[in-house]
Parts: sequence; C-alpha cells; structure tokens
Amino acid sequence: MSDFFPLLLEARDVSKSVIGPEGRLEILSGVSLRVPAGGSFAIVGASGSGKTTLLGLLAGLDTPDSGSIVLNGHSLATLDEEARADLRRRLVGFVFQSFHLLPALTAEENVMLPLELEGSSAARQRARDALDAVGLGARRRHYPAQLSGGEQQRVAIARAFVHEPRVLFADEPTGNLDQRTGHHVCDLLFALNRDHQTTLVLVTHDGALADRCDLRIELEEGRVLAATGDPA
Amino acid sequence: MNLLRLSLRSARREWHLPELRTLAASLVLAVVALGVVATLAARIERGMLASAAELIGGDIGISSPQALPSTFADKAREDGLQITHAASFPSVAFAGELSQLLDVQAVDPRYPLRGKLELRDGNGLVRDGHGPAAGEIYLDNRALVALGLKVGQPLQLGGRDLVIGAELLRQPDGGELLALAPRALISLTDAEQAGLLGVGSRARHHLLLAGAPGAVQRWQAWAESTALPQGARLITPGQTQQRMRASFDRASAFLRLTAMLSALLAGIAIALSAQRYARRKTAEVALLRALGASRRRVLGLLLGTLGALAVPATALGVLLALGLAQLAWLLASQLFGSAPTTLPFAPSLAAAAMGIAVLVGFALPPLARLADVPPVAVFRQSLRRRARRFDGLYLIPVLVALGLIWSQSGSLRMAGILAAGLAGVALIAALLAALLLWLARRIAPGAHPALRLGLAALARRPALSVVQATSLSMGLCALLLLAVVAPALLQGWRQELPDDTPNWFALNLQDDQTTAFAKDLATIGGNQLNTLPLAVGKLVAINGRPLDQGGLADERAGDWANRQLRLSWSAELPPANEVVAGRWPGARPAQAEVSVDTSWRDMFGLKLGDTLSFSVGEGRIDATVSSVREVDWSSFRVNFFLLLDPAHASGLPHTWLASFHLPRGQTAQLAQLSRKYSNLSLVDVDSLLDRVREIVNRVGCAVRWILGFSLLAGALVLAAALAASAAERRHEAALLRTLGARRAQLCVAAACEFALLGLIAGLTAALGAAGTGVWLGHAVFHIEHFVPPIGPLLGGAAAATLGVMLLGLAGTRKVSRTPPMRLLREG
Repeated sequence: MSDFFPLLLEARDVSKSVIGPEGRLEILSGVSLRVPAGGSFAIVGASGSGKTTLLGLLAGLDTPDSGSIVLNGHSLATLDEEARADLRRRLVGFVFQSFHLLPALTAEENVMLPLELEGSSAARQRARDALDAVGLGARRRHYPAQLSGGEQQRVAIARAFVHEPRVLFADEPTGNLDQRTGHHVCDLLFALNRDHQTTLVLVTHDGALADRCDLRIELEEGRVLAATGDPA
Repeated sequence: MNLLRLSLRSARREWHLPELRTLAASLVLAVVALGVVATLAARIERGMLASAAELIGGDIGISSPQALPSTFADKAREDGLQITHAASFPSVAFAGELSQLLDVQAVDPRYPLRGKLELRDGNGLVRDGHGPAAGEIYLDNRALVALGLKVGQPLQLGGRDLVIGAELLRQPDGGELLALAPRALISLTDAEQAGLLGVGSRARHHLLLAGAPGAVQRWQAWAESTALPQGARLITPGQTQQRMRASFDRASAFLRLTAMLSALLAGIAIALSAQRYARRKTAEVALLRALGASRRRVLGLLLGTLGALAVPATALGVLLALGLAQLAWLLASQLFGSAPTTLPFAPSLAAAAMGIAVLVGFALPPLARLADVPPVAVFRQSLRRRARRFDGLYLIPVLVALGLIWSQSGSLRMAGILAAGLAGVALIAALLAALLLWLARRIAPGAHPALRLGLAALARRPALSVVQATSLSMGLCALLLLAVVAPALLQGWRQELPDDTPNWFALNLQDDQTTAFAKDLATIGGNQLNTLPLAVGKLVAINGRPLDQGGLADERAGDWANRQLRLSWSAELPPANEVVAGRWPGARPAQAEVSVDTSWRDMFGLKLGDTLSFSVGEGRIDATVSSVREVDWSSFRVNFFLLLDPAHASGLPHTWLASFHLPRGQTAQLAQLSRKYSNLSLVDVDSLLDRVREIVNRVGCAVRWILGFSLLAGALVLAAALAASAAERRHEAALLRTLGARRAQLCVAAACEFALLGLIAGLTAALGAAGTGVWLGHAVFHIEHFVPPIGPLLGGAAAATLGVMLLGLAGTRKVSRTPPMRLLREG
C-alpha cells in the first residue's frame, strides 16, 4: 500500500524505557512501522505490551529514547514540546477510551475546543455540523453526564474530526462500550476516515476492529510480534 | 475502636493531600490567632485592673453611707486580704479668720494598700507616704492657698487642732480628674474622736482590700451575694478610670476584630479544602458504600479522619498561641508595671474550642453530604453529586461564623455590622461573578482567543467560579479591613489625641481673671485654651417633686441626688457630644432648658419635657429637659452630665474651668504663674494621656503583628481556592495540550481568568471594606468623621487583582506542564 500512497507516518527502530522501583523497564524496543496517508492502521497486543506508549510516541505526546518518528514530513525528534503541540493542533485528532470530555462543557462546547485553540471564527457552526455528522445535532446542549457512553464517544469523535486533521489517533475507542454501540462507533470512525481521507491509527484489543484496518502490527513485551499488510 | 484505627490509618495515608494540609494549617492558624489575642487580652485586662487598683488605693473596696458591719472586714481577713478603713466627708477648716470647706478623707496608717500617696514636706522634699499620724493633716495646694497656710502650721477641723504634716500632691482617688473642693487627709482616729463619723454625719465609710487575685475574687463573690447595707456599693477597679477603660475596650475590640477575621479567613480556607477533599473522596465513598459500608460508618470514618488531623493541629495551635502570647507580653508588660505575670491557659483552650467549632462548622456540610453518595454511584458519575435546591446543612458555617463574630466582638452591634458587611460582600461578589459568567457566555465567541479561553475556563466551572469569587472577596475584604481600614481607624483614634491635646486643667478661675490668665498662659507657650463656666449645685426636684422624699428607683440616682453637681452651659453643642433625642437649646429659649446625658436619662428615668430643679448657691433654677446627649467620655475633653442654656444659667454663681495644652518642660513657668493666681487649682493629665497614647501605639503594633496571621490565612484561602480547581485544571490542561494548545495560550487564558476573578474579588472587597470601615468607625469605635482611605483601598484592590492573577499563574504554571501522555495513561 505504501508503494502507491505517500507516507504520512513512519517510525524507525523506536525504543522507550522508564525507570521504575525495580530499575529500568523497557516498554518498547526497536519498533518500526510505516503508515500511508488515508489508510487505517491497528496496533494490537495484550495489556502491558506497549500499545498505548507507542500511540503516544507516534502522536508526539512523548519522545522516544532512541529511534525516529516522522509525521507528515516532520521529524518529531527535532521538535520541542511547543512545536509538537503546534503540529498536533494542525494535523492530529484524538479519541480516547474514556472519552475525556470536559464535564462542565456542553457537547457543542466540547467539540468547539480544537477550533477555539486555532482561533477559528466559525467554531460554533462547524461544531454543530460535526455533531450533525455523528447524529447528535439534537443533543448539542447536553452535558457529558447527560449522555450515554456511546453518545459521549460520538461527541469525542466529532471533536476529533471537527478541525479536519490529517491523522486520527484512537486509543481503545470501543473499550468502554458495549458490542453493539462499539460497532456503531467503529462504523462512524471508518466512514469519516473514508469520507475525509483521514489516516486512522488505533490501538485495540478487539480483533474484529483490527481486521477492518488496512494494516496492523501486534506487540508483545514491547516488540513487534507480527505485522499484517507490511507496515514495517 | 476499629473505626478509630481506620480513621488514624486514613489520616496517615492521606496526609500528603494538599487539601488536608491546608485544612490542618488553617485550623492551626485559627487557634493561634484567637488564642494569642484572647490570652493577651486577658493579661492586659488583669494589668489594667491592677493599674486601676493603684488609683482606688486597693484591689477592691466597699463604700457605704453608714458604718460597715465588721463581717466585711472579718471575711477579708479570713481570706488573707489586707484591709484599710477610710471615711470621706465635707468639713470646714478654720485658720485664724479664714475658713474653707474641705473634701476630707480620714484614713488609717495602712492607707493606701495600692498606689502612691505623694507628699511634699516643709523642706520642699517630695516623698511617698501613708495615712497621717493622729494630730496631723495633709492639705492640697488649693486648701493651703485658701487658708493662707504652710506646712507645719496649725489649723482647726471638727473642733480639733491639727498640724499640717505635708502638702498633699497626689493620692489614689478613684481617677476622678476634677475634685470640687480642696482636699485634706487626716487620721481616722482623729475623725472618730472628733465625732465626725457618728450618726447623722454626712460621711461615707470605705473599706479597701488588697491581696492575691483569687482571694479578691472570692471576697467579691461573697460580698456580691451578701446583702449590702442600704446605699452601700462595691468599688471595683473596673468601674474606675473611665478613660483608660474606654481606651482598653477599644484596644481590645481592635485586637479581637483582627483575630476574628483571621479565624473567619481560616474558616473559608477550611470550607474550600473540605469541599475539595469531598470531591476527591467521592469515588472512594461510592465504592465503600457499594462494598457494604453504611452511611453512618462512612460518616464516622470521615469525621474520624478529620479528628485525627484536628487533635494534633489544635494542640500545636494552643502551644504556638501560648508561646507567642508570652513573647508579646514580654514586649508589652512594662505598660502595666505591677501586673500579674502568670500565663492564663483558659483563653487558649477556649480558642482551641472555637477552632474546633470553626473546623466542624465549615468542614461538616461537604463531608456529611459526601456520606450521602449512593452505592449505585460506582456505576454512574452523574449520581455522585446530587444538587439540592436548598441545603440546610450549609446554614451551619453561617451560624458558626455568626457565633464567632458575636463571641469575639463581645457586642451585638459590632457583630451585626461585621456580619452584614461580610454577607453584603459575599452577595455582591456572587452576583458579580454570576454576571461575569453570563457575559462570558455571550462575549466569548467574539473575543480574542486567549480571553475566550479564559472566559470559557470561568464559564466551564460556574459553581466553583462563584464560590471562588465569593470566598476570595470575603478573604480580601477581611484583609483590606485589617491592612487598610484598621490602621486608618487607629490613626483616627490617634488623631483624637494629637500632640496638642489639652493636658492641663485649671479650676476655680474667677470672672475677672479669665482675660489676664489667657494672656499670661500664652506667654509661657500655653495653647488650645478653652474655658467653660462651672457652677456647683444640687438636684432638688424632678417635675416639682422634691428628691428628699425618695422614690428614686435607681440606687445610683439616689447617690447623685445627695452629691454636689457640676453644671455648665454653652451656646454650641460641645465636641464629643451628640444629641440623640430632642433638640439642642437655642440661643435664647423662652424658659430655662437643660440637656442631659443618656446615663442620667436612664438613671432618673427622665424624658423630654421633664423639669429638673437645681439649687445653686442661694438661687434655684427650674429647667426643662429639651435634649438628651450621647457623650463620648473617653475623649480628653471636659464633659458634663448636665448642660444648661446660657441665657438662663449665666447669672448663676460660677467660676471658670480652663483646659489647655502646655508643652512639656514648661511646668516650672506654670508653677510661677500659679503663684500669681493663687486661687487656681491645676490638674496635670499628661500621665493619663501618655498611658492612653501608649495603649494606642501598642495596639497598633499588635494589630500589625496579628495582621501577619491574617495575611497567612488570606494566602491559605487563595491557595485553597486555587487548589479546589487544580485537579480539573490539570485534566483540562492535559487535554488542551493533547489537542495542540501552546503553553503560552494556556498561560494567557489563565491570566485572563484569574485577573477577572481577582478584579471581582478586589473591587467587591474594597467596596465592602470601605463600607464596613465607615460603619465600624462610627458605630463601634466612635471615631468622628472617619473617612476610609479610598486611595489605599483601590490600591489594595489593584494589588489584589494582580496578586490573584500572579498566584493563579504560578499555580497554573505547574498545571500547564502536565504531560499530555497523562490522558492516555488515564485511559
């Protein structure tokens, strides 16, 4: 696939470790991958295999101890935290397992957040459009506590897509949802991925969800155990 | 027992939580502030009483129109007290052709038990002495001049020949500034043998006692429970020295005000910390409830944890209070030379109890509500906090605050003013904050991105924003009251005693001497001369009913009716007087009018329109009560219970009373002048003025000192207010950073948010402090024309805005560095 589409994200020989109470703990070791623009990419593995750490590194939320990550032509290692934040604002959207909506904001205001950070003047209207797109136009004035888990995740998806990012990182997007709702949320993610040509990188335990992605890697104890679709 | 162990364990585990540390620090601070002030006030009060004891000649006494039964002296001896007998009466002394009515005191050789009797012997040497020996008499300067005598010469009094043993310079006299007649001191034995104290005499008999404070208190309690002889009354140091007393009362009120505001600030910090603690514990409580813990057990565990913190914090507060009070006493004790030195423990323990009350009152509501979290809340976050339209529990802190204000101010009026002031501030702050939030929602879409984020941050936590604005406003108001208004009030008080406050009184000035005296006084540097007519008379009838027929309900009124009264008159209402009923007499009323002081109105049950009849010399004047005055007796001015209108009173036989200021060092020239006006009697009030000034200055120091506690308490409120939203802020910052917010964006947004919060708090607090200050100055501290310092208050408001913004930013700096990875780690 990468032979036909330009690369959006590439990791080369990435390693990460932390210092714990029992000394140095290696979380990732020599991980390499390539994600083409507009594609979908799944990172799977057991708990503690390093999936979330890898997602954080790919999204520029953290920096690797060694190796390099290039996002949309920018080498993250050469950027400081401020520059990486700037990159995230322009290129990246996020969906979390726990939704991470601000409880004191309405659904619409939560969706407006990335646009407000850009200083967009049409934030409200664009937020409404995004909520309409996820089927929650009628619930825009509801607060997160007044929404079900599935609805909250749809608001989070609207927030992730509202500023039309080049890449969307999703961490266990269906982890807190029942099967049916999870399925519905997945449909939504892939539809938006298709309609907006947004690259989708997701971490999941869900084999069915991973199967819907173009590419996947499986991690075990911080190393790539298997790759499907030649991601490396 | 199990619950206790669990509570202790929980307190130990949770000690690292900032809100619990703030809560404990607030409690320590409340106990220290209340304890130091109460301990110091108790000691100063004791010192004041000891100092006043020097003025009555004993620690306590009893005065009676008849000879006192021996039981009073016997009981005193039983209690181990020293005793001295005395009697006072008017009597005429003769020296050759001259005679003079004297105010005579007959005393035994032990007199005085407290204070000094200052005498000048024939050689001009000044010495301290005791009661004269039999056959001797001590006369004051006025008596010596009136009788044309010198020390060593004889005179006749009550049919006995006595020799003048010394000139009486100063004696413990109950602090009365102006005695009417010249003074004489003779031996009690002479008075008894001359039959001056027998049945039918006009003598008042006194028994004065001195000894250990406990024994004095025991005797006082016994005497108060015993039927006193008719017309007898106890003389206590507390009743004497009205001016010193008033100064001390004001001083005490200032100190209590500062301590109480510090405690209230601590209460606010406690409330905010408890609120945050409750929020943090919600999920844990829901889990405990789901696992089967009953509501009562959960509440017990929460209160137990609080108790495990409160006990050591209170103990530390008490120890610090005692230590600091001891230190402060070492600095202040020289003001009260013979004051007792024991450190009283009771006030600090009472402060500990009040601190616990503040803790329970302010922390209980959120914790009690926390125990209400239903077990099902483990599944749904929305069930964790159920809002109630009205929550009666939140009346508890209000009641505790009111109780604290009342108990500390000791006056319902001051309590009312402070409570109303702070409640007003809270209300205005809440309204302004709500208005700002309303505006925020409307302005935000079109505003600058940073301001929009700041406004959005405020609007995101509407309830917390209102709570923060309100508590910051109240805290800042208390601080401004202390930092700006209290010093201004003190300055106002100080200005009542400027350097040129009259420090001398001249009695007995005659009509034909007033002009020459004024001129002579000016040549020796005297200034601020003010002369008032002074007539001496007796109240003989009220509404035509003679007073000798009795019928006066108030014992004090009966006492006054038997005394010589000082009457004066003036066309203008004198300073330090305020007409509270009726109207001030015009220049020439059709019939004689009199203005009475409120205490006279109450004693005699007078009302406007009543007629008072006075005999003055050979004449009599009937005057209608046309006004009632509130007199500030603490002012260093000559004040009168009764003021007549000049048109009808100026014909009465009178002398003049002059008050003036004489620079220090001019006393010798004044003595020369007094020889020229030999009938004059001069009274020096410099020492009394010095004492009051000293009290004012020391109170100023103490207020600044206690202000330190208040500043700490204010900082705790701010820290608690910021900490209350810290967790949410961190989460928000992490999310915004994940979504690409720059650090500068977060900082500018936070600056806007806190500047707005600070502006609301600063302006409301300045407004509240100014209003409360004016009210307090007028109604409690009786400072005329007190104008709050607007400039410093506005400066304080600006500094508060800046301070809140900077502290908010400092707090946010850490928050803005929250790594965005945290969100992924949290799931």
